[in-house]
Amino acid sequence: MSSDQANRNLAEALRRVALTTLVRNASDDCTIVEASRSAQEELLGSRLLVITISSFTFRLLTIFQVSEAQPTREYYTSGLTARSLDEAFAEIANMCCGALGRELSAQFKHLAMSIPYGLESQCARFLDELQPRFRASYDVTINNAARVRITLCLCCNRPVEFAAARLAEEDHARGELELF
Amino acid sequence: MLPRDVTNMQPGMDPDNASLEAKTAALAEEVAELKHLAESFERWHQDMIRLTTSNRHLHRKGEDLLAVARNLIMVSLNAAIEAARAGESARGFVVVAAEVRSLALKAQELVSELSVGLHKSNLLTAATFQDIQAGGKLMMAAVSGLGSSVNRLRSNED
Repeated sequence: MSSDQANRNLAEALRRVALTTLVRNASDDCTIVEASRSAQEELLGSRLLVITISSFTFRLLTIFQVSEAQPTREYYTSGLTARSLDEAFAEIANMCCGALGRELSAQFKHLAMSIPYGLESQCARFLDELQPRFRASYDVTINNAARVRITLCLCCNRPVEFAAARLAEEDHARGELELF
Repeated sequence: MLPRDVTNMQPGMDPDNASLEAKTAALAEEVAELKHLAESFERWHQDMIRLTTSNRHLHRKGEDLLAVARNLIMVSLNAAIEAARAGESARGFVVVAAEVRSLALKAQELVSELSVGLHKSNLLTAATFQDIQAGGKLMMAAVSGLGSSVNRLRSNED
């Protein structure tokens, strides 16, 4: 179980890292809005990319869907010849989740992240089978063109509290966490 | 079990120190053994890939079966139309066509349910194995930390 405030703090941590890791240029315009359950029925692409951050008390599945439409494809692959959207975006998603892991590691000493794994997008319809204590999706739009959806799915057996914003400077000063 | 044998202690060495040294050496060996956990985690990861690949294969077969069922529904529908045109002499064939259609519809329903089940299974499999994978990294980090502690202990003994 996690409180509403803890869930908001977790969502805010995701928002912070998404704003900086999902864009290819710092000056790109990036908007993030929470997707309603009905909006989530519309699958954004044919694939999901799942990455899990685990601790001894919880596991957090971060599920990325990237649009396969041309604007998104161009945004993530332009200038990267001979790279597919899946390959290019897997790297971006890995960085995003790694940054989220680093944010959380300021609060949880023992955390580790899985490697990304691709699934068919229809699998997203069964996330409730994991009996998450918190589940929310966010639609990310970059430069009014590229579209990504991120879903957080938090599973825990005992109460987990996520603190409000951590000191990013402190995290950076500690350098890259080995586990991520 | 830590060895209590201190028969190999060097002359002049304090028996308590010798015992501690032997225990520390045994602990270091145990920690070194635990590092092989990484191989188990890798094996589980490969198992997950095999499992989901097998699910994907079943999924494709299910889609093929669904296409056959759909075609069968159309064929049975056309057969019923043709039988109706043929009149009284084909009345038995109308019944057969209706039965074939009913079976094809049932097959379509079952394959759709199988497809849903495979998607659900893929998600649960991936979620479980990713947790094992990340949990494995946690354990390896803990073993590594334990190893460092043992090394520090041994260097203090020297």
